[in-house]
Amino acid sequence: MAMSIQCALISQIKMLQLLFCLSYFVILSSAVSRENFKTCEQSGFCKRNRAMQPGQSPYIALIDSLQVQANSLNIQLLNKNNNVRLKLEAYGLQDNMFRVKINELSPIKERYEIPVGDSLIEEPRLHNINLSQKDKDKIVFTMDSNKVVISVEPFRMDIYSNDDPVISINAQGLMKFEHYRKKESWLINTGSSIFSWFTNHFREAPPAENEEEKPEGEEKKEEENAVETKTEEEPDMWEETFKTFTDSKPHGPSSVGIDVSFPGFEDVYGIPEHADTMALKTTKTTDPYRLFNLDVFEYELYNPMALYGAVPLMYAHNEMRTVGIFWHNAAETWIDISSNTADKSVFSHIADFVKGNNEIPQTDTHWFSESGVIDIFILLGPTPSNVFKQYARLTGTTPLPPLYSIAYHQCRWNYNDQDDVKSVDANFDKYDIPYDVIWLDIEHTDGKKYFTWAHEKFPHPEEMIKNLSVKGRKLVTIVDPHLKREDGYSVYTDARDKGYLVKNKDGNDYDGWCWPGSSSWPDFTSAEVREWWTSKFSLSEYKGSTPDLIVWNDMNEPSVFNGPEITFHKDVKHMNGYENRDLHNIYGLYVHQATMDGLLRRSGGKERSFVLTRAFFAGSQRHSAVWTGDNIGEWSHLKVSIPMILSLNLAGITFSGADVGGFFKNPEHELITRWYQTGVFYPFLRAHAHLDTKRREPYLLPEEHMNIIREALRLRYSLLPYWYTLFYQAEQDGLPIFRPLWVDYPKSKEVFRMDDQFLLGSSILAKPITDQGTTNTNVHFPGRHDIWYDIDTYEVYDGGVTKNVAAPLDKIPVYQKGGSIIPRKLRPRRSSSLMYQDPFTLIVCLDQQGNAKGEIYLDDYHTFQYRNGEYLHREFTFNNNNLSSKNIDPKGQFNTREWIEKIIIVGYPKNPLNISIKNFSGENSKRLAHKYNSEEKSLTIRKPGVNIADVWTITIE
Amino acid sequence: MLNSVFIVFTLLQLGSSDNLSHPRGIPASKASFYRPAETFRCIQSGKTIPFEYINDDYCDCEDGSDEPGTSACPMMRYYCENIGHKPEYILSSRVNDGICDCCDGSDEFEGEKIQCHNFCEEIGRKDREEKEKEKKLQEEGSKIKLNYIQQGQKIREEKKVRLNQVEKEKDEMAEIKTDLENKKTEAETPEKEAKERHEKAWEEEKAKRKAEKEKQTALIVFDEIDSNDDQHVEMGEIMAHSEFDIDADGTVSHDEAKEYLEELEKVGRDDFIEKIWPNIKEIFKSKKSDSVAKGDKDSQSTEEKVPDLTPNVADDDEDDYDGDDDEEDVDKQRVSEIQDVENKTPEEDEDKMPDYDEETKQLIAAADEARNQFNDADRKLREAETEMNNLKSFLDLDFGHQDVYASLKGQCFEMTDREYTYKLCPFDKASQRPKSGGTETSLGVWGHWSGDETDKYSAMKYEKGQNCWNGPDRSVQVLLQCGMENTLLSTSEPSRCEYQFEFATPAYCSQEDSNANKETHDEL
Repeated sequence: MAMSIQCALISQIKMLQLLFCLSYFVILSSAVSRENFKTCEQSGFCKRNRAMQPGQSPYIALIDSLQVQANSLNIQLLNKNNNVRLKLEAYGLQDNMFRVKINELSPIKERYEIPVGDSLIEEPRLHNINLSQKDKDKIVFTMDSNKVVISVEPFRMDIYSNDDPVISINAQGLMKFEHYRKKESWLINTGSSIFSWFTNHFREAPPAENEEEKPEGEEKKEEENAVETKTEEEPDMWEETFKTFTDSKPHGPSSVGIDVSFPGFEDVYGIPEHADTMALKTTKTTDPYRLFNLDVFEYELYNPMALYGAVPLMYAHNEMRTVGIFWHNAAETWIDISSNTADKSVFSHIADFVKGNNEIPQTDTHWFSESGVIDIFILLGPTPSNVFKQYARLTGTTPLPPLYSIAYHQCRWNYNDQDDVKSVDANFDKYDIPYDVIWLDIEHTDGKKYFTWAHEKFPHPEEMIKNLSVKGRKLVTIVDPHLKREDGYSVYTDARDKGYLVKNKDGNDYDGWCWPGSSSWPDFTSAEVREWWTSKFSLSEYKGSTPDLIVWNDMNEPSVFNGPEITFHKDVKHMNGYENRDLHNIYGLYVHQATMDGLLRRSGGKERSFVLTRAFFAGSQRHSAVWTGDNIGEWSHLKVSIPMILSLNLAGITFSGADVGGFFKNPEHELITRWYQTGVFYPFLRAHAHLDTKRREPYLLPEEHMNIIREALRLRYSLLPYWYTLFYQAEQDGLPIFRPLWVDYPKSKEVFRMDDQFLLGSSILAKPITDQGTTNTNVHFPGRHDIWYDIDTYEVYDGGVTKNVAAPLDKIPVYQKGGSIIPRKLRPRRSSSLMYQDPFTLIVCLDQQGNAKGEIYLDDYHTFQYRNGEYLHREFTFNNNNLSSKNIDPKGQFNTREWIEKIIIVGYPKNPLNISIKNFSGENSKRLAHKYNSEEKSLTIRKPGVNIADVWTITIE
Repeated sequence: MLNSVFIVFTLLQLGSSDNLSHPRGIPASKASFYRPAETFRCIQSGKTIPFEYINDDYCDCEDGSDEPGTSACPMMRYYCENIGHKPEYILSSRVNDGICDCCDGSDEFEGEKIQCHNFCEEIGRKDREEKEKEKKLQEEGSKIKLNYIQQGQKIREEKKVRLNQVEKEKDEMAEIKTDLENKKTEAETPEKEAKERHEKAWEEEKAKRKAEKEKQTALIVFDEIDSNDDQHVEMGEIMAHSEFDIDADGTVSHDEAKEYLEELEKVGRDDFIEKIWPNIKEIFKSKKSDSVAKGDKDSQSTEEKVPDLTPNVADDDEDDYDGDDDEEDVDKQRVSEIQDVENKTPEEDEDKMPDYDEETKQLIAAADEARNQFNDADRKLREAETEMNNLKSFLDLDFGHQDVYASLKGQCFEMTDREYTYKLCPFDKASQRPKSGGTETSLGVWGHWSGDETDKYSAMKYEKGQNCWNGPDRSVQVLLQCGMENTLLSTSEPSRCEYQFEFATPAYCSQEDSNANKETHDEL
């Protein structure tokens, strides 16, 4: 879905709407819409924070104000320039984390903090700290093997792990905390920006708040600072204009910023969403990375511009350790990155040459948000899996999705009517291509009024859904958060009458343009409104829906066609008393959270469900899958999808993917084929296409391409048991599913920036082809002690080596790790639910020692009964020529008909004489037939026939 | 634990020996491959396996032939007997997957996921009824189709006949045209000569008149300047006329006067006309009649108005004249203000060429007649050529077998949905216009037959319609089906600007049951 709709063709469009739409297009059609979005230079607080100079921090810690508790300490900070006091709180947290919060000591207006439970799952659990030193220069406290040193003047914090410095806060002294202040009354009356510019530049008087904010004690100091030093006022502090939009900024400047350094680290990752490389780049010569949820039309690649979602989480990694910081703030945020190694190429430092190679690499980052507080979680790792678990402790993980949702989704803007849906569904079966979910975009509604149907086109939605669900398939409808302002539309009038709509600065219902024309938005920041939204999904409220209908939330940044930067005005008011400025980035999360709650409630919480969202924030992973928005059917967008999904996975958004084929434009056959070969490895796999594109369902492609795509999709389906197990593990430990190589090979420096190949879990390595006309590629096989097997040919590759491999159009370079066992289901079916009871084939790939190990998790694939212990989690082990299966989670019990039909042992040296299977008690030993392929070195064991829940051992002699 | 496994086996074994004389999933015709023995030979690969491996839910044969009745070999097909309806093969992957694919339900014999009912009788009956209905439709339609074929062939025949006729007419017309062209040339030569003669005489006469007039004007001026009436113009008389003040110092000096008198002290009438007048006529301003010079000018411009002599353009002539008139309106106005002596009308008459003489007039009339006849013949020839081309392109069109679709050409069929009225004019164009009114949008013009290899005449393509914003040219695929009358049944737009129409016509009806056969083919 996106904005390049051919306006004139939208039916039932009113004249005004059309005019607006056309003028909107004039803007959009001028290629990329970069000019619709602010640069740092055009953003007042970005400019002010970026202008901070290192080494001039005015902040000092007031040692006498120190208070220490068992798990925390707090201390006041004083800004010497304006005499404003802040309070700093530092907490020790369980799982090797610290939290540092800085807020105003006595603000004239309470600053926004994200409520616990919205991004954070709960109040983080505290851990004891010990004050080990306190003198006039510094305070030292420890937690386990970690140490925090707070320097008093200027204020800074250095965090050590095992005496190694790992993170420093305000080491550069870029901290800036714009306290709330009162605008001088006569200025408030005029409200003229020119006037305020004039007065700001020429007045001598100190700002008003100084009279109000008398720091307690320290009278002398206050005297000294009675006449405030240089005023901080700048022209855009009380009102800011971008293009034709004026931001009224009733509360004035309110930004918070601070620098965070990672000594010893060259590589940092995270802070999605950007269409950029996985390893973050220095921003010396560009704008900072921006986090501000925006609907960006035909987004540009490899730059730090903001996109649809934001996770203010960054990891730093080197051969020794991995650490991270989570910036718990939902306002617009920018992050500058510099590095003494990376920036050398930009500015050649003579000093560096003098120092020689002994210089320690360091990455410096500078974070600033338009409002809120400074609230930093420090994740101390020290391993990659540790930091992921730490972050998972804070914001949660993705609950195990129902199996259908990790299968293949077929989408298009739009399937025109129910006959069209029927025909697409029938064609997939005719051409024997599996799919699980078909999607309906905005045109299915009556005039873009969500929860309604265009009755002429979809007269019998229940019947249409039933025809899908008998084959185990689902239907997705789109439900966007904008409500058409139409008196006859009950969702809108209901929200309006209840006072649930977001308000403009004057307190009236906010009125903006989106698909339906004039629209308003429910205030999802309110739990009461979310509850109301949730009720709209009940089967009785949402006419035409059935339990097999699931939902897609688009445009929830939110997208406002005629708003500044195509979103809400910043001075939009929420029911909690805050402006959108304070919480913009979390609005979209509330939308999809309420939607998911609505779907779960339909079954009384028995059935798992599925929601896809475009906008997201830290914590979104608990509710929804995410896709990378409106990409383009071009090779470059196929290529960038890998780093984008890697970054999302690193930031906890494991269930993510990019539109296969590209949303805009018409991909050529080779591109769409390669895109499917890549897409079958996206955790969320959906093909989607714009209204203006040609139809491109796989069965419409030339036979050669269709056959390759069918094979790729069958590979995805055959690996669903492995995927499902990975999703289960990810729910437990928060590890990325689609993961960069450094996660599993943290000491191999050569893989730290590799983002054109990836691992699925630990056992599969893939390097899909993302370049036109390419028929071979260099694959790096990680792990000096590992070996890798081509999953098609069982050809062996040594780890620690980069090798050129052939990759004609029908080949995806995919490898299974030696030492792993992967359960697959090799019987092709029309949809994943038809595979529930199908038998497994175990692919056992031996390592250099001839051993292997693997896990399987399974349950009923669709309900929450697994949380009541109805599941199986088993481990397969192969060593000493014995392959055995055992339960590794005795809490799980589950009866299933799934059985093991075949075992393929790859890398087995010779044809064995005899293979037998025996059950747990050792009785009933039974001989099994086998087949040995000496070229492949693969041993196929015929039909063990055991139930997957059984305990057994197969012995090879 | 292992017991449960053996239960699965038993179930499967039972499935395969369920009152059947041959394994599940094969037709009786293939039973011979599966005769009970110790071993089984995979049908294509030839590999030998134990007989009990047949339908044991494990794929042993690379060709899948050991598992006709299970889903173990994905490349295999399962045979549904479907007694009461028609037998069919389904993909093995659809066996025991929880969906009843065969109407006899035999594909879900495990019965664990779903209990299938045998509804072959029911759908068989329905199918037979449908087929009967369809057959009837095809039969009835085919009768009409015969008419179409007759009409089509008649149209073709008529067009052919007409084409022959027109070709002949064209050839005749071409001959006549050549003949008339010669005649035209013959008539035009004397006409041209006579006209030229007449015009030349007129030119000479005009020159003569002009010279005389010039002289008269000069004499008037001479008399005016010769203030002492001594029949000579002298220095002093020149100096009395301020227009000779070359340097504009207020007085006419000796030198200035001398200049005009060509260094002479005085000149007589003849010398004045010959030497002095040409130099001063542009300068001199008559006190009596300020218009003398202008009058002359006026006559010059009138000269330009000599009628154009190109033949038979009398109308244009008139226009030209009016045009010049307009252009000189300003001049004329000024002239008429000061010109109170001269009468304009006679002067104009004087400047107009007299009528051609009778002889020339006759020649012109003869030539006009020849020209008209020639033009008439030329037009007829072109008309014949156009008709011929139209006939040829009609005859070049592919109207299907036996020209069955030919009678549709020239007709249009419409259908209106919620928003648009769609129009299909077979072999011509397709279009849409908003229901609420507004301009028609071309969805395409006739392109070609676009059915698949098995039946080229099952679909039509109209292409190169109005271009879509940011997209392709609009086009329409028209899918044909048998119907009792020509009807545009439905329209849709599966991809942006790629339309699909369904059109029913008796022309697509067929007495052979080809449609039904096709369906079965698709299933396999």
